[in-house]
Amino acid sequence: MSANYKSVFDIIGPVMIGPSSSHTAGAVAIGQAARQVFHEPVLGIEVHYYESFAQTHLGHGTDYAIISGVLGFDPADARVPEAVTIARQQGIQVHFIEETGVSPVGHPNTAIVQLKNAKRQIRLTGCSIGGGTIEVRQVQFDGFNIKPPGSLPLVLARMTPSLATQFVQRLGQFTGINHRHQYTAGTQTLFEYSLNQRLRVTEQRQLQQLVPDLIYL
Amino acid sequence: MYQTIAELVTAATTQQRRLSDVMIAQEMAATNQTYDEVWSTMERQLAVMADAVKRGSEGEGVYSQTGLTGGEAVKLKHYREQHQSLAGDTILAAVQNAIATNEVNAAMGVICATPTAGSSGTLPGVLFMLKERLDLDHNAMVRFLFTAGAFGMIIANNAMIAGATGGCQAEVGSASGMAAAAAVEAAGGTPEQSAEALAMALSNLLGLVCDPIAGLVELPCVKRNAVGAGNALIAADMALAGCTNKIPADEVVGAMKAIGENLPSTLRETGLGGLAATPTGIKMKMKIFGKQMDLDS
Repeated sequence: MSANYKSVFDIIGPVMIGPSSSHTAGAVAIGQAARQVFHEPVLGIEVHYYESFAQTHLGHGTDYAIISGVLGFDPADARVPEAVTIARQQGIQVHFIEETGVSPVGHPNTAIVQLKNAKRQIRLTGCSIGGGTIEVRQVQFDGFNIKPPGSLPLVLARMTPSLATQFVQRLGQFTGINHRHQYTAGTQTLFEYSLNQRLRVTEQRQLQQLVPDLIYL
Repeated sequence: MYQTIAELVTAATTQQRRLSDVMIAQEMAATNQTYDEVWSTMERQLAVMADAVKRGSEGEGVYSQTGLTGGEAVKLKHYREQHQSLAGDTILAAVQNAIATNEVNAAMGVICATPTAGSSGTLPGVLFMLKERLDLDHNAMVRFLFTAGAFGMIIANNAMIAGATGGCQAEVGSASGMAAAAAVEAAGGTPEQSAEALAMALSNLLGLVCDPIAGLVELPCVKRNAVGAGNALIAADMALAGCTNKIPADEVVGAMKAIGENLPSTLRETGLGGLAATPTGIKMKMKIFGKQMDLDS
């Protein structure tokens, strides 16, 4: 079984704007994950909150935290509390929905973030498990419906099965792989890998050279 | 990666290394970084903590937007200057540091989560007091954080550290255990004594619920960090004196997890139970969110 908290700085950190690591810093991380998956200009953001998130998002600043992540801000960025206003000034439609039911993935701090523009839409289900650390439980885009085990880091690589062999060899030189799964949508294949440890920026670049359509969360 | 506190203590004891060194070695291996990279990141976390402790205790202090919390670290500072306190200045210095940090957090200032933002005052509360009390140098302070982090990782991976999943015992309880264990190392105690200190500190806070007024990380969170810091010092002293918890640290962590899973959701950071559900708590919530809630509906 893989540990969710892999670094001492998951515990002594993050450095962040208050008030809540799971509802603020973790929410920034969920927004950032959605941004990474979409990697296109955003025109609409819809956030669905469940359980503790639904009850306390106003007081914890979860709204501006998630939007900060979507805009690419860091949790300690001074613009974090103004993020909703900044997004709206940029012409982005922003909606927050408090769901009354239980979390569809069984965690009290669950948010589903939908990002869209005129061409595309993605949907990411994140759980904030404490101290700013998150799990990504579901990612839906371009016809794929990916359900990873949750723990980060996570690599989503769109490539042919023949390239995947070479890709896994390279990835294996950098880190252990805890879980892998193959998904198909039409003629396309996508491979999901849950990793044992975070990749360095240079390692991410090497992988990206091999597979340009790569998402690293 | 060390899966249990017993493994961590055994590693430090058999290798005759400090717990902080064991943690640094694990971090280097896990994140593929050099000693200097890992060390300097921790120095940055320490600097953020120092700034928050200072900011909350200066001038008039800091106040949250809601007005529920603020200015009490400064009240404690003046009280310490002008009166002979009942608990003694060591404890009160730790309490002041803890409250200063959490007041900065509630005011949406910059803090370092240790392990969470809601419990961010406990560790610096103890650390910046020990800096004076034990005359700790910069390196010893950085080590304190690695040791605390080593224990925190095991708690987080084996149980939980979020109020929404485990109540306040998972936040301030964990922080207090981490601070107690690190304080023992800073005072020259053994890895075994660090584990005992954690076991005692966490045992003392088992069952603590997460019941924030209006769902805000203010009441009672700020003052629970005062108790987290004081409790850590008491547990560390008991461990250094040779007292033991009898129930091993890993089993205490297991008990914390089981209790957390059994807490009803009203007592896990929903702002629906405990102090949040008192008549005054509900009144405060209506005053803060009444208007905004009407606009949203």
